[in-house]
Amino acid sequence: MKLINLVVLPIIVPLFIGTVLLLFRKSLLAQRALGLFGAAATLVVSLFLLAKVAEDGIQVVTLGSWAAPYGISLVSDMLSILLVATASLLTLLVLWYSVYSLGEKRELSFFYPATLFMLTGINGAFTTGDIFNLFVFFEVFLMASYVLIALGGERIQLRESMKYIIVNVVAAALFVITIGYLYSITGTLNMADLAVKLGDIGSMGVISTVAIMFLVVFGIKAGIFPLYFWLPGSYYAPPLPVLALFGALLTKVGIYSITRVYTLIFTTDVAFTHDMLMMLAIATILFGSIGALAYMDVKKIIIYNIVIAVGVILFGVAAFNEVAVTGSVLYLIHDMLVKALLFLMIGVLIFITGKTNLREMGGLIRHYPVLGWTYLVAVFALAGIPPLSGFAGKILILQGGLEGGFVWQSIVVALSTMVVLLSAIRIFIYAFWGAEKSFNSPPKAKYVNRMIPVVILFVITMGYGVFIEFLMPLFQATGTQLMDSSLYIDAVLGGEK
Amino acid sequence: MLLFYILFPLFVALGITIVSSKIRREFLGWIAFSVPVVLFALFARHIPTISSSEAIRTTFSWIPSYGIDLTFLLDGLSLIFVLLITGVGALVILYSIYYLSSKDSFAHFYTYLLLFMTAMLGVVLSDNIIVLYVFWEFTSISSFLLIAFWFHRKNSRNGAIKSLLITMSGGFTMLAGFLMLHVMTDSFSLRVILAELPQLTDHTLFYPAMALLLIGAFTKSAQFPFHIWLPDAMEAPTPVSAYLHSATMVKAGIYLIARFTPGFGGDVYWFWVITCVGLVTLFWGSFNAVRQNDLKALLAFSTISQLGLIMTLLGIGSAGINPAIGEAKGLYTFALFTALFHLVNHSTFKGSLFMVVGIVDHQVGTRDLRRLGGLMRFLPFTFLLAMIGSFAMAGLPFFNGFLSKEMFLTAVLSIGDLPIYGGAQVGWLLVLVAWLASVFTFVYSMILVFRTFTGRPIVDEEYKVPQEASLGMLIPPGILGVLAIGLFFFPNLLSDYLLKPAVEVLVEDGAALAPKIYAWHGFNTELFLTLGIITLGIVAYLLLRKWRPYYQYIPSNWTFNTLFRSTLSGYERLGERVTMRYMNGNLPSYFLYIFSFFIIVMWTTWWIVGPINVTFDSPSSMTVYEGLLAVVMAAAAIAILFAHSRLTAILLNGVLGFSIAIFFVFFRAPDLALTQLVIEAVTTILFLVCFNYLPEWKVEKLSITKKVRNGLIAIAGGLTVTIVGLAVNNYTKFESISSFYENSYELAGGRNIVNAILGDFRAFDTMLEGLVLFIAGIGVFTLIRMRQKKGAEPRENQ
Repeated sequence: MKLINLVVLPIIVPLFIGTVLLLFRKSLLAQRALGLFGAAATLVVSLFLLAKVAEDGIQVVTLGSWAAPYGISLVSDMLSILLVATASLLTLLVLWYSVYSLGEKRELSFFYPATLFMLTGINGAFTTGDIFNLFVFFEVFLMASYVLIALGGERIQLRESMKYIIVNVVAAALFVITIGYLYSITGTLNMADLAVKLGDIGSMGVISTVAIMFLVVFGIKAGIFPLYFWLPGSYYAPPLPVLALFGALLTKVGIYSITRVYTLIFTTDVAFTHDMLMMLAIATILFGSIGALAYMDVKKIIIYNIVIAVGVILFGVAAFNEVAVTGSVLYLIHDMLVKALLFLMIGVLIFITGKTNLREMGGLIRHYPVLGWTYLVAVFALAGIPPLSGFAGKILILQGGLEGGFVWQSIVVALSTMVVLLSAIRIFIYAFWGAEKSFNSPPKAKYVNRMIPVVILFVITMGYGVFIEFLMPLFQATGTQLMDSSLYIDAVLGGEK
Repeated sequence: MLLFYILFPLFVALGITIVSSKIRREFLGWIAFSVPVVLFALFARHIPTISSSEAIRTTFSWIPSYGIDLTFLLDGLSLIFVLLITGVGALVILYSIYYLSSKDSFAHFYTYLLLFMTAMLGVVLSDNIIVLYVFWEFTSISSFLLIAFWFHRKNSRNGAIKSLLITMSGGFTMLAGFLMLHVMTDSFSLRVILAELPQLTDHTLFYPAMALLLIGAFTKSAQFPFHIWLPDAMEAPTPVSAYLHSATMVKAGIYLIARFTPGFGGDVYWFWVITCVGLVTLFWGSFNAVRQNDLKALLAFSTISQLGLIMTLLGIGSAGINPAIGEAKGLYTFALFTALFHLVNHSTFKGSLFMVVGIVDHQVGTRDLRRLGGLMRFLPFTFLLAMIGSFAMAGLPFFNGFLSKEMFLTAVLSIGDLPIYGGAQVGWLLVLVAWLASVFTFVYSMILVFRTFTGRPIVDEEYKVPQEASLGMLIPPGILGVLAIGLFFFPNLLSDYLLKPAVEVLVEDGAALAPKIYAWHGFNTELFLTLGIITLGIVAYLLLRKWRPYYQYIPSNWTFNTLFRSTLSGYERLGERVTMRYMNGNLPSYFLYIFSFFIIVMWTTWWIVGPINVTFDSPSSMTVYEGLLAVVMAAAAIAILFAHSRLTAILLNGVLGFSIAIFFVFFRAPDLALTQLVIEAVTTILFLVCFNYLPEWKVEKLSITKKVRNGLIAIAGGLTVTIVGLAVNNYTKFESISSFYENSYELAGGRNIVNAILGDFRAFDTMLEGLVLFIAGIGVFTLIRMRQKKGAEPRENQ
């Protein structure tokens, strides 16, 4: 295989297999088998690509061989490929879980192809080096997410999907306008080229303005304060595997995009743009913290925890030094893993109890010790208790924040952990320890089936914490690449192949 | 080797979990018991080495990329703690084997307890502060699990979560402090940090780091006002209270402060904050202990108070590090020495007292003072042990508490002689507080013994006639009681082998400056103070009935406990209110947020970075037709707002679309115009086709203020976008990449640029847009099919 085009594969493989799946839309077996195969194949090619990027540095493919900046470049740097690999892994595990939990009717309503198309969009968004192409990939995964959110067509789903679609359509319009303005200034769409041209101009009011517009556009997707209002309602509606995918992957595309443009393109007026990002990140943490303790509904609790994490990650990006940015990426991947894990666990919990309100649960630890204890450990990981998965990222974010002189902000970040811990551990205390309440007590086999992918994800997540040293070179490379944009620029514009 | 010591309990804990179902429950206890015994022996072997002021070190890599290594260090200070952890641990486990009932899960209990042991050993042995922090949090977690050991009780759960919240918040603040230390010194190693800190007093982060560190230590060691978690933690089984919440975990904060004394000691704030917090805690704890009716609560407040005492000593002693102290250095080294001495003493008598209370609870079935009395004749040995423990705690002669209490008074008196920090002015006040606290301490010690064991025997059918506890429950407190007496007679043995090497770690020449301990030092102020304490204490105890009722006049909702609870519930309520307020699930509100936020950030940007350049001179001048068309579009757009029927609105929308097509014609893009026309035609027709199936058009009823508000936001939003549009319009510094495409025929073989771009240069975009349409088709298909099936899938599964 010619490895030079490897970059395209994590995008094309799910697209291709998703398309093939449409041919077998009535066969449950084919849907499941090919769906899982598609995600697994995507994972395999991304791991290949990861190895390649780790070894040879940033990989670039210019589509149709139209040299940058005229054609569309796909760029796999460490940040991109780490996210692609994580997204593919999580899609695989969530699909596995769905096989046992989604229900045949929903599975046959194009669930597997839509998920693979969403993965296409997400991987593409992580990979593309062209700002307009980024917009197109946004459309791809959004359109797939529209299908997924309405999957099954319950009343609440239809109502929430309508809001979700309209908010996203407005955001998309703003996105195109913003790209148009940026193009009008620079006459280019290639991100590396943009970085060069904006670097030539230097600090200028209109560029800071466009930078802030991008922050608004991506902020709606990422769920920063105050633009996350759509998120809790919309994420609440779909079935749990879909929620797990959304929670683990979708907001992260927004975070990725902010990280990308704020480390590569808009770095000429850091004092303003990144301070603005810092303020919004802190506000996001605060308001997410307020929301997380406001609910007794297990799904809502975890959903608000998404918001807090968004703030923490962007705090690191805003601090804008190598340690903090590295920490952000570490934490970003941790958050993807652990959020997917928690959502799946909550799914099992809801499956067992048949309820979503904590007050109606209790005493499960005697009957479901594995779920209970793994959940508790996952909560500690979520809170960044060492040596679990959130720890290394959080500590670097804090350290970078302090080095950047953001003292009180760092303390806010450290304390937000308490809210995260309290909100999530409440689920454990009520549902597992509390006085025993009646529950469904479904057949053991069904419970065990669901627990297999959950436990696998659990082990991976924990390994990500304890054995982080083995991955550390990758993250250090990520930090270096992000803070030294010339590496990216040279790879795209310098080394024409 | 040290790593093995630390992990040994953890491995055994894992083993216990695995084999728990296969072996007898008591046997689990004996396995667990062997762990601290073995470790105690192993650590004790190092006493000779350490007492010659050497240290033992081992290092393993964990995250070397960021300087986080598993480096462990056994020096004089750590040695005291590890011996306490393993020694008291062994006794507690032995005790617990007889204490736990057959209904309790031995496997869980010993797993948690051994987990805690590993964590606690890790805290006192780590040289790397991040690793220290890791273990620190693990002590909180295992404490959380142990407090909630009887998790079916609501109080246990509440106590567990409360202690977790407070100690972990402290942990996180401490972590922030540690990271500041790292930023200052560029190292995670305690030794390096401690060596560099004294030179960094001018660093901006010096005081923030100190403050955060202290909060961590104070929360863990239950210092005022963070002490509130400790009484609630008494919901734990009594062996746990004896071990974690009296002898070891709560001393982690003391360890931390002692450890950082060489770095921060000598600073005036360090001195005053620790001394004052310690004294306030000492007083507040003893003052509150007297009012308790629950024996364990009494012991909890007593522990708080005693921890405050040790803290005070560490505060006073830190003055000895200041180079300006001169000749008086010995006097303050004395305070540090006393702190460590009392630390050991406290573990002996308080450990035994907890076990005594446990026996009472276990044999009688209650620990409520109001229902206890005259137990002496039923539980004679327990009574004896209770006397030893209480008298030691009260500071009576022939018990170790007497020695350290006298030395404590000496240390507090020495503040008056302090040549620096202005100690001379307030010294007398501190002495008074310490003295009063000691009186209260005396009183509650007496309550503990005499209220429980003397007086009228209880005649209550509810309780079985109490019987003396089994030997297994008496031996552990017995050993501690013997130690409490033994240390009175041979204190210098402890001093030479353990205390002096530890003081050496804290202060330079500490071992040489450390005093020799005497029980009798003539008629000095300390002795008179002690006599005063005993006299007043006896009087106060005898008159207890007269003055204790006045406690009830202290307003109960003015405590920190209430503050904590109401803060927490207030926070939840506030969160709920605020969140429900803006998360109303209402689409128009969503747009309000998006657009208001957009407008606000944009104008803030211009306010901060300065206004952007807006010019109206366009490179190509506007024609009359273009102007007319723009007016038409604006009119149509505004008219939509006032449309009264759906039909009008759709047609007006069509006007907008077709006008855009005409613009394309003006700009000489016929393909685009054609595409736009087709799209407009199709959508308009589709709309009209669906018309029949849509519900009645309802005009929104909005108040005039809301209409005005929405209108203003709409206008401001449009204006904002227009301004940026005008500003970017004339920016022609760079040549656009579009000039490249003009060559499309030669490059791609197509004369039409648009086609070449869509079909070749950026074909990838086109393909993906195709995919978007395709997915949309799937979505529509599923929705239609669902409609045919009448209704949604039930969601029985998640």
